[in-house]
Amino acid sequence: MENYTKYKLKGNDELVSLLADKDKVFVIACNKCFKEFETIDEPDCGEFEKIAAEQGKTITGSAKVDFLCNKTQTEKKLQDMIPEGTEQIFVISCGLGIQTVADIAKVPVYAASNSLNYTGHHGMALTKKSCDACAQCYLNITGGVCPIVDCSKSLINGQCGGAKNGKCEVDPDKDCAWEKINKKLEKQGRTEEFLNQPVQVRDYSKVNFKVVNDYVKSIREERFAGYYGGVHPTENKEFSEHISLERFPEPKVAVISMSQHLGAPANPIVQVGDTVKVGQKIGEAAGFISAPVHSSVSGTVIAVEPRMHATRGSEVMAVVIESDGKNTLHESVKPNKGYEDLTPDEIIEIVREAGIVGMGGAGFPTSVKLKPNKPIEAILLNGCECEPYLTADHKVFMEFADDIIYGLKAMIKTVDAEKGIIVIEDNKPDAVALMEAKIADCDNIEVVTAKTKYPQGAEKMLIKRVMGRQVPRGGLPADVGVVVSNISTVKAISDAIQKGMPLIERVASVTGEKIKNPGNYIVKIGTSVKELIDYCGGVTDDDVLIKMGGPMMGFVLSDLNVPMMKGSNGIIAINTDQTQEVACIKCGRCVDVCPMELTPLYFAKLADEKDWVGMRDRNVLDCVECRCCDYICSSKIPIVSKIKAGKNAIREMK
Amino acid sequence: MNISELFQRGEFVVSAEVGPPKGTNIDHLVEEAKTYLTGVTAVNVTDNQSSVMRLGSLATCKVLKDEGLTPIYQLTCRDRNRIALQSDLLSAAMLGIENLLLLTGDHTKMGDHPQAKPVFDLDSVSLIHTVKLLESGRDLGGNELVGEPPKFAKGAVVSPCSDSVDAQLAKMERKVMAGADYFQTQAVYEPEKFIKFMEKAKQFGKPVQLGIVIPKSVGMARFMNANVAGVHVPDSMIEELKADKEKTKAGITGIEIAARIIKECKPYCQGVHIMALGWESKIPDLLKLAEI
Amino acid sequence: MLITQLKSKETIVSLVDGKKVFIINCQGCKEVHFPEKEAAEFQKELAEDGNVTGIITTDYICNPENMKLRLEKHMSAIEAADVVLVFSCGVGVQTIAEYLEDKKVCAACDTYPLPGFQGVTPLEYDCDQCGECYLNITGGICPITACSKSLVNGPCGGTKNGKCEVDGDMECGWERIYRRLAQLGRQDALKCPVQIRNFATDDEVKNL
Repeated sequence: MENYTKYKLKGNDELVSLLADKDKVFVIACNKCFKEFETIDEPDCGEFEKIAAEQGKTITGSAKVDFLCNKTQTEKKLQDMIPEGTEQIFVISCGLGIQTVADIAKVPVYAASNSLNYTGHHGMALTKKSCDACAQCYLNITGGVCPIVDCSKSLINGQCGGAKNGKCEVDPDKDCAWEKINKKLEKQGRTEEFLNQPVQVRDYSKVNFKVVNDYVKSIREERFAGYYGGVHPTENKEFSEHISLERFPEPKVAVISMSQHLGAPANPIVQVGDTVKVGQKIGEAAGFISAPVHSSVSGTVIAVEPRMHATRGSEVMAVVIESDGKNTLHESVKPNKGYEDLTPDEIIEIVREAGIVGMGGAGFPTSVKLKPNKPIEAILLNGCECEPYLTADHKVFMEFADDIIYGLKAMIKTVDAEKGIIVIEDNKPDAVALMEAKIADCDNIEVVTAKTKYPQGAEKMLIKRVMGRQVPRGGLPADVGVVVSNISTVKAISDAIQKGMPLIERVASVTGEKIKNPGNYIVKIGTSVKELIDYCGGVTDDDVLIKMGGPMMGFVLSDLNVPMMKGSNGIIAINTDQTQEVACIKCGRCVDVCPMELTPLYFAKLADEKDWVGMRDRNVLDCVECRCCDYICSSKIPIVSKIKAGKNAIREMK
Repeated sequence: MNISELFQRGEFVVSAEVGPPKGTNIDHLVEEAKTYLTGVTAVNVTDNQSSVMRLGSLATCKVLKDEGLTPIYQLTCRDRNRIALQSDLLSAAMLGIENLLLLTGDHTKMGDHPQAKPVFDLDSVSLIHTVKLLESGRDLGGNELVGEPPKFAKGAVVSPCSDSVDAQLAKMERKVMAGADYFQTQAVYEPEKFIKFMEKAKQFGKPVQLGIVIPKSVGMARFMNANVAGVHVPDSMIEELKADKEKTKAGITGIEIAARIIKECKPYCQGVHIMALGWESKIPDLLKLAEI
Repeated sequence: MLITQLKSKETIVSLVDGKKVFIINCQGCKEVHFPEKEAAEFQKELAEDGNVTGIITTDYICNPENMKLRLEKHMSAIEAADVVLVFSCGVGVQTIAEYLEDKKVCAACDTYPLPGFQGVTPLEYDCDQCGECYLNITGGICPITACSKSLVNGPCGGTKNGKCEVDGDMECGWERIYRRLAQLGRQDALKCPVQIRNFATDDEVKNL
C-alpha cells in the first residue's frame, strides 16, 4: 500500500522566523495519520525540536498524542501535560489537531505544519482521489468516471479541446478524463444517452460549511449520546418484533449443560437411568461463583457425558434427559412467601437455589450480585436489547411486565437500594409505555428511555448513560453504587419467589433474514438449536451464518446440535459476509467507536507482534469485547479475536 | 482626474454612487448623472452590487468619463480570479480611468445567482496589494509589465459604526499597509460613533469620505437596521422620520437628517460619499442643505 | 468518509427507467452519515415493481478487494440487471463502475464533503487542507473554513451583529479570530504581510 501524509512540517525558514520572538515552547505532535504506516513515532517532532534548539529556544517538553483531532480524548490527555512556564505550544498535525489544541490550551498555539490536501477518503481510497464531494453527483451521465476530479478543469459538458494524444493539457502524464468517459459510454452504448443530456451547470451553493456543520452536529449528538463511542448497526428487529410470544413444543430430549454460567461448572447429581422431574436439581453449584442446574423436563436421564457446548466451542459435561412429555413438577417446586415477608438472605438463597444467572449472556451468578459489599443506590434493569435482530427482551417486557416489577422490587429489597431504574431503548416505544403505566404507583421505580445505540446494554455503558458514573478500571458496578440486571433475570427471580420455579426456561428469538418463519419462543433449557430452527421452517438457503446471540457479540454455531442455555437470548440466521483482512490504514475509526476509549488498532498490531506487555500497557484488559471495532474496521481486521488472544496471554503471564 | 491629488490639495471630496442597469441601455443613468451629479467631484460605479448581475462597471465608467464626469471604478473579488482582476485593471488604466474602489464583495449567495461559484481568489487587502504591484510595473505573478505602469487612486472601504470597531480598525490598518490611498465609509447615522472612530483612524493618515445613505423612510431605516452590516439608524431618527407623514414632504426629513450628519462630521473627515440609491435627484438639495 | 444524501426520487426513478436493477448499499460511513431509512423505504417501493434483481448492503465498497469478494455470489443477479444502482459516496460508485466495466452503474446519492479526515467523527468543518496553514496569524481559528468567503486578510464588512452575511446563524469567523487574538494578547499577529492564497492544484501542493 502506498504511504500517505496529511501534514508536513513547515519549511525551515518559516519555522525560524516563527520562533524568532518566542521561547519556552511546548511541542505536541499528532501521532497518527502520517507518512509511513509502519512508523511508530512521529519523526517531525524531533526535527522541530532540533530546529528550535538550534535557535537557542527552551523546550519545556514535548508529547506525541494519538489522533489529536479527537477532542474528547485530547482534552483528557492534555489536562496535566503542559508544564508551568510554557509560553506557547507548537503543534505538528493537520489543521484539525492544531485547532483542537488551540481550543483547549490557555497559551497561544502555533502551527508548525501545513495540512496537505491529501487525495482521498476512507476505506481503501486514501491514496487516490476519486470524489470531490460536489453534492451533485455527475457519475450517472459520465459512465461512472468523475469529471470533477478526473478532468483538470472539472468540466461537466465534455472535453475542452486541450487534450493531446489523449493526455491532459495540464499534465501530460494524465489521461484526459473526457476521453475516458467517451470511450466508456461508447462501450456501453450510452453515447446517445449522453448527447441527449441537458446542458449541465454546476450549483456551487450546494456545498457549504454550514450545511455540513449542521449535519455533523446532528450526527455527533447521536454518536456521543450518553457515552463516548458506540455504533448504530442496522436494527433488523422487524423480522420478529411483531410476532407474539409462543411456548415452544416440549423437546423430546433435553441436553442440559453443567456450565451455563460464569465460574465453576456444576457437578451432576443424577445418574443414567434416574427419573427426574421438572424443576428438580440435577447439578450442584461447585463453589461461590457457580450455580446449580435443574431439569427442564420430566423423564429419564439417558446420559451424563460431555456434549458440545454452543459458546465454548468444545465439549462440556451435560445431563441428557429423555422427556416423558408429562411435565411432572418436582415436589421442591412450590411457592415461597411474598418477597415482602422474606429477609434479604432468604431471597438470596432462593435465587441461588433456583440457579439464576445473568440471562443477558454473561451468566454471572445473580445471587453473588445480590450481596454487594458496598451501599447500593440503584438497580438498573437492562432492557436495552441493543444487539440487532433480537427481540426476546422486548417480548418479556410485553408479556411479563408484572413479573419484572415484582422481581425488581425483590431485588431492591435485597440490596437495600434506593430505587430501581428500568432502561429501555427508544426503538421499543410500546414497552416504554407499558412499563411506565405499570410503575405509575411505585415511587421508587422509574423508566428511562435511552436513544438506541450499541453497546448500550454493556453494563459499564449503561451505568454511564443512566447514572453518569464511570465504573473504575477493573471495578464492579457496585463500586459506583449500582447493581445491573437483565430483565429476563428479574423475571426469573419473580418466578423463583412466586412459583418456586428454578430457571429452566427462557424467552429467545429465532430470527434473521435467512430464517423462513421467525418467531419468539419460551424455550426450555436444553432444547436443541437444530430443533428450534427446524420448527421455524429451517433456513432459506445454505449460504447462511448461524449465531447464538446477536450479530455483534453472538457465537457462530458450526454445529447446530447444541442446546439452548440460560443465557441464550436468540438464534439468528443471517447473510454471510466474504471479506479478507488487509493492512490497517490507521483510519482511527476503531478509536472513535470504542466505548471504553481504548485504541484498538494498536491491539491488532501488538497482538500480531505478540507484544502482550504492550497490549497490557494500553489497557487491553478493559476491553469489553463489544466488537464495535471489528464492526467499523475498514480493513476488516478481526481485532477482537486478536484482543482475546492478548488477554489470554496476559492472564497466563500472571 | 486622480482624486488622490484632490485629497492632497486638502479639498473636501464629494462623490456619489450610481448602479448600472440590468441591461444594455444606460441613457437613463447618464441622463441622471449629468443632471444631478454635476456638483460632485467623482462618481462611483458599482460592480454587480449585492451580487446581482448587471451591466459592467468598467464599461459604465468609460461612458461616464466620456460624458465629462470623473468615475470611480468599483472592483470586487467575488467574480474574478487574480488574472481577470489584473487584466481589468489594465483595461481601466488604458481607458483612462484613474480612481478605484477595491472591495471583497458580497457573497454570491446574496444575489440573483446563488448557485454561482464564489471566487474570492483575492480579497480587498490582497487586491489593493496587487494594484500597488501593478503600479510598480509588475504583476502578481512577478512578471514585468510592458510600458508605462498604471497609476490609480486606490480606494477602500471601512465601517466606522460596526459592532466591532477594533476589528474594523485592524482591517483598515491592513488595507493602509497594503497601499490604500483613501477610504469611503459605510453609511453613517451615528455621528458620535463616526467621530470616535475617526479619532483612532487619524493615525493612518489617509483621507476618509463619510458615507451617506439618505434615509428615505421608516421602512428603509428598519430594513437597514435588520439587514445591512455596520449600519444602525438610531430610534430617535426613526421617530423623526415617522413624523414626516405628509406625502408632499416625503424625503425632506431624510435629506435634513443626512445634511445634519454631514455638517456634524465634516470637521473630522476629508470628504463625503453619497449613496443615493435611486434618489440621485435629491443630491443637489442635500449638498445645498449641508452647505457644501 | 463522506456524507451522502439521496438524490431526488424522480432522478433515481429516471435512472432506472423501468429496467432491471441491482442495488448496492454501502454503510461503511454510516456512523458519519448514510440515509439508511430513506434508502430502505425507497428500495422497497422500487422492489414492488418486480424489477429489482437483488439488493445487498455492505460496507467500504471503496476497498476494491473486499468489494469484489462480496459481489462474487451476487454476480448472476448483477448480470441479470440492466442498471446497478449504488447508494454510496462517489468513491464507492466509481469503484463499482470500474469493476463492472460493462454495466451501467449509477449513483443514487450526492456526496458532501466531510469536515474531518480520519481519526474521528469530526466535530466541525475545521480544516480545508489548504496546504498553507494560516492558524498562526489567526490565533488557531481557521479563516478558510470559519469565513464564508475564506478571507485571509481580515473580515469583509458584511458582518451584522457578529453574524455572517451569508448565514445569520453563523458567527463571523473573523470576529471569532479577533476575539481569540485579543484574549491571547496577540493582536499584532495581524500586522503580518498581505496574505495571498496559493490555489495551485493538488499534486503540486502535495509535492511541495
